[in-house]
Amino acid sequence: MTLSFFDQFMSPTYLGIPLIALALSLPWILYPKPTTRWLNNRLITLQGWFINRFTQQIFQPLSLGGHKWATLLASLMLFLITLNMLGLLPYTFTPTTQLSLNMAFAVPLWLATVIIGMRNQPTHALGHLLPEGTPTLLIPVLIIIETISLFIRPLALGVRLTANLTAGHLLIQLIATAAFVLLPLMPTVAILTAVLLFLLTLLEVAVAMIQAYVFVLLLSLYLQENV
Amino acid sequence: MIASLHDFCPASSLLSVLTTMRPEGMRGERRGREGHREAETRVPRCCRNLVLHPSDMLSRLVFVSASALKSSGPIGAGVVHASRCLHTSSQSLAPVPPLPEKGGKVRHGFIPEELFQLLYPKTGVTGPYMLGAGLLLYMLSKEIYVINHETFAAASIGAVIIYGVKKFGPSVAAFADKLNEEKVAKAQEVKDVAMSSLAQAIEDEKKEQWRVEGRAMLFDAKRNNVAMLLETNYRERVHMVTNEVKRRLDYQIALQDLNRRLEQEHMINWVEKSVISSITPQQEKESIAKCITDLKVLAKATQAKATA
Repeated sequence: MTLSFFDQFMSPTYLGIPLIALALSLPWILYPKPTTRWLNNRLITLQGWFINRFTQQIFQPLSLGGHKWATLLASLMLFLITLNMLGLLPYTFTPTTQLSLNMAFAVPLWLATVIIGMRNQPTHALGHLLPEGTPTLLIPVLIIIETISLFIRPLALGVRLTANLTAGHLLIQLIATAAFVLLPLMPTVAILTAVLLFLLTLLEVAVAMIQAYVFVLLLSLYLQENV
Repeated sequence: MIASLHDFCPASSLLSVLTTMRPEGMRGERRGREGHREAETRVPRCCRNLVLHPSDMLSRLVFVSASALKSSGPIGAGVVHASRCLHTSSQSLAPVPPLPEKGGKVRHGFIPEELFQLLYPKTGVTGPYMLGAGLLLYMLSKEIYVINHETFAAASIGAVIIYGVKKFGPSVAAFADKLNEEKVAKAQEVKDVAMSSLAQAIEDEKKEQWRVEGRAMLFDAKRNNVAMLLETNYRERVHMVTNEVKRRLDYQIALQDLNRRLEQEHMINWVEKSVISSITPQQEKESIAKCITDLKVLAKATQAKATA
C-alpha cells in the first residue's frame, strides 16, 4: 500500500494551509448558540440540557471558588467529545490524536490548578504530597513519590487521550483493512472480521465519549484538591 | 440654527447615531437646554437627541458632514437614503415571529424532501433514486471514489449511527419534547394558580359585599334588641318606683289608722271610766234592786211558761 497506517495521523495541510485549523473550528460551527427564545427546538433544548447536567455533575463536589472554571471545563468537554466523535467518521482527521494538542490542553490547565493551590492555600496544597497515616520512616520516600506523581499528571492526561484515540483509530484501520483484504479470499472470515469491526466501532464510540469525560473529570479533581 | 437643522435633517439623523453613543449625563443636560427650544419649532423626533448649541462642537460636525455627504456623489445619496432613525421602526418592537416547530422534512434521514419535489415534474417518482444510483455507480466505476479499508470503516460507523438513530431517536425526541412541555407546564401552572386565586378573590369579595348588605339588618335587629332592653329596664324601674311610693303611702295610711284606733280606744276607755266613776252607790243599790225585781218577775214568767 502506498499509504501507511500512520498517515491518517499526519496533520493535514493543503497548499501550505494547515487544515487542522479547519478541523479545530468544526465543533464551534456545529453547535447553535443559545437563542433569545424561551422555548427552542429539540436540538437546542437537548444541547442546553446536556450542558446543564454535565456542569451540575462536574461542579457539585467543587467549592464555590472552583465554579469559576465552569465555562472552561464545560466548553472543553464539548470540544473534546465533538472532536473525538467526528474523528470516527471515515476520511476525517482527529486533532486529538496529536500529542501536541492534548499536551497543550493538559499542561496549562494542570499548571493553573497547581498555581492556584500554591497561591491561595500553600500549606493545604503541599499537604497533598503526604497522604495521611504514613509510617514515619516512609515519609521522605513518599514525598518524593507524590511529587513525581504530581508532575506526571499533565503527561498522563495528554498521553492518555492521545494514546486511546490513536490506538482506537489504528485498530479500526487495521481491522477494516483485514476485512477488505479478506473479502475476495475468504468471505466468511471477512464477515466475521466485519462483525468485529462493528463491535470495535461501538467500543470506539464509547471510548471517544469516555476519554473526553475523563480528561475533564480529572482536571476538575485536580481543581478540587487545590481550590 | 434651527432653520439649518431642517436642511440637514437626513445628515443630522445620521449623526443621531453618534449622539446616542454619548454618555447619559451629557444627554440629560442637553435635554434641559433643548426644552425651551422645542417650544419654538417642531424638531423631528429622530433629531431630538441632537443639540445645536454654539458651544457644542457637534454643530461644526453637522456642517462638515452634511457638505461631505452632499459632495460625495452617488455613494453619498445612497448613504443618505440608507440612514434612518433608530428605534422607530417596528422591527425591534414587534412580537418575534415563531420558529418552525419541526425541521425540514427529509427522506431516508438525510436527503431533503425538496430535491424530490424538484425532480418530480421531470423525472417522476423514481427520478431522484436513479440520480443517486447513477451518481454512485459513476463514482465507483470511474474510481472517483475508491473502495478501500475506509469503506468498511465507513460502513461500520454508518451501521452504528443508523442503528443508534433508529433505536434511540424517538425516545430522545420525546425527551426533548418533554423538557419543553415541562417548561410550558410550569409557566401555565403559575398562570392557572394566579387566575384561580384571583377568581377566588373575586368570589370572596362578592360574598363580603353580600355580607355587608346583611349588616344593615343585623344592626336593625341589634338596635331593636337594645331598645327592648332599655324599655324593659325602664318599665322595671317604673314598677319599682310605683311599688316604693305605694309602700310609703301604705305606711302613712297604716300610721293614720293606728292613730285613729288608738284615739278611739283611748276615748272609749275614758268614757267607760268616767261612766263607771259616775255611778253613785245609791244608784248602784237601786239598780241592783231593780235587777232583782226584774229577775223575780222573769222567774215567775218562766215558771208560768214552764207549767203551762
